[in-house]
Amino acid sequence: MRKTLSIALIACLILALGLAAGCGQQAEQTDPDKQAGKTPEKQATEKLVVGAIGEPHTAMLKMVKPKLAEQGVEMEIKDFTDYPQLNPALNDKQIDANFFQHIPYLEDFNAKTNSKLVWTVKIHTEPMRIYSQKIDKLDKLADGAIVGIPNDPTNSGRALAVLQSAGLIKLKEDAGVTATERDIVENPKNLEIKMADAATLPRVLQDAAICCINTNYALDAGLDPAKAVFVEPGDSPFANVVVVRPEDKDKDSIVKLGKALQSPEIADFLKTNYPAVVLAF
Amino acid sequence: MLAISGIDLAAFFATYLGDYDWVPAAVLFASWETLYMVFLSTAVSYLVGMPLAIILVTSEKGHILENLQLNQVLGSIVNAVRSLPFIILLILAIPFTRWVVGTSIGTVASIVPLSLAAIPFVARLVETSLKEIDWGLIEAALSMGASNWQIISKVLLPEAMPSVVLGVAITAINLVGYSAMAGVLGGGGLGTLAYYHGYMRYQTGIMWITVIVLIVIVQGIQMLGDKAAGRIINKRR
Repeated sequence: MRKTLSIALIACLILALGLAAGCGQQAEQTDPDKQAGKTPEKQATEKLVVGAIGEPHTAMLKMVKPKLAEQGVEMEIKDFTDYPQLNPALNDKQIDANFFQHIPYLEDFNAKTNSKLVWTVKIHTEPMRIYSQKIDKLDKLADGAIVGIPNDPTNSGRALAVLQSAGLIKLKEDAGVTATERDIVENPKNLEIKMADAATLPRVLQDAAICCINTNYALDAGLDPAKAVFVEPGDSPFANVVVVRPEDKDKDSIVKLGKALQSPEIADFLKTNYPAVVLAF
Repeated sequence: MLAISGIDLAAFFATYLGDYDWVPAAVLFASWETLYMVFLSTAVSYLVGMPLAIILVTSEKGHILENLQLNQVLGSIVNAVRSLPFIILLILAIPFTRWVVGTSIGTVASIVPLSLAAIPFVARLVETSLKEIDWGLIEAALSMGASNWQIISKVLLPEAMPSVVLGVAITAINLVGYSAMAGVLGGGGLGTLAYYHGYMRYQTGIMWITVIVLIVIVQGIQMLGDKAAGRIINKRR
């Protein structure tokens, strides 16, 4: 008995170690086809290391890679596994650009770490949408209806801005992206705003008249973005942007990367594969 | 709105707290929400948990209502619910909550998962209290021809009462902690205020104020529990 127990324990330990090692390797994994860009006829190639995380960002980078190679930019894509590593890696010059975040995330990072990273181009937004199981049009919203919004600072501020764009409430002029319910200056429909965890909103949708839900949670919960009653406008600050160190903002290779990502091919790619996403260029 | 000895508190707060003049009212309201959730869910959990504990104890081998199968089934259910992390129970219980109170978001709605989490805890706590009773007492009552109901109501419960009352304080204090997670479903309360305003918005002052209020509440509950248990013990002497 004791023997089997100790064997089981050792097995668990080995498994845990193996997993940890596996994760470490994955984090450092670079794009396997980076050698592909080594075309001998290109003499003055500029190297560019771009950090990204998951889809659709890495897929988009892979799409523009051959195009950049034609323009003399040899791009290496570093696929990270952890969001918080991407901006520090850029600061430490391990990468030259990253593509995973929206502007408020960047500003928050800059403020908290005293960094000066800048964004160059807006590519796409995963918009917050207003969903409902009770109404099919926003003007059918009853007086005093319950409105569910996320409760974390950025998402609740974003949701309030969406409600403002939808013409349901009015916020103080200087409310910004982290607005709270105390920044509401006009609420003509006397909406009762309830805050809940962003990921639970799809689960409690039927208990509210409308809910402001992030695209990722909506998709995970099987909600159809096409059936949303309102979509966050494309000019929102929550667009995914390419971020670089301030001195590289106008560097040739960075400008080329931005132009390549804002191409019609990328637009088509997003429209076909990620219909829930809204273009920001 | 509030006036104590001629000082207009609202104006006082507005002058000295500036942008934070909403905090006192928010803390007061959140304290009310916390007390409301904790009081009601403690009540519900004892309403269900006490009988459950009595069944768990008396159905044990050799006890007055021996029923091993029932004992094992109830015991496993209690263990199963107790093994769920509260945050998961909160979400799994959404359909049930909706069925009971008609909605799954808000302060009233969070009483359902809080009670669900506390019931098995109460059952085990009261079970422990009941098991502390000297078997000799039960045997004596049995030899005098006491019925099962009399054993429960005249021996088990009165004997275990001080310990059960202290258990109420433990449960209520536990629920103060659990209620902090009610914010996930819009339940409000001090924990939500501390987490979503104090922690996530870096308004550390608010976090500390709520922590202090929580300490006061928990001390109060423990004191009440100690006093009530002491009174029962004193009466016996």
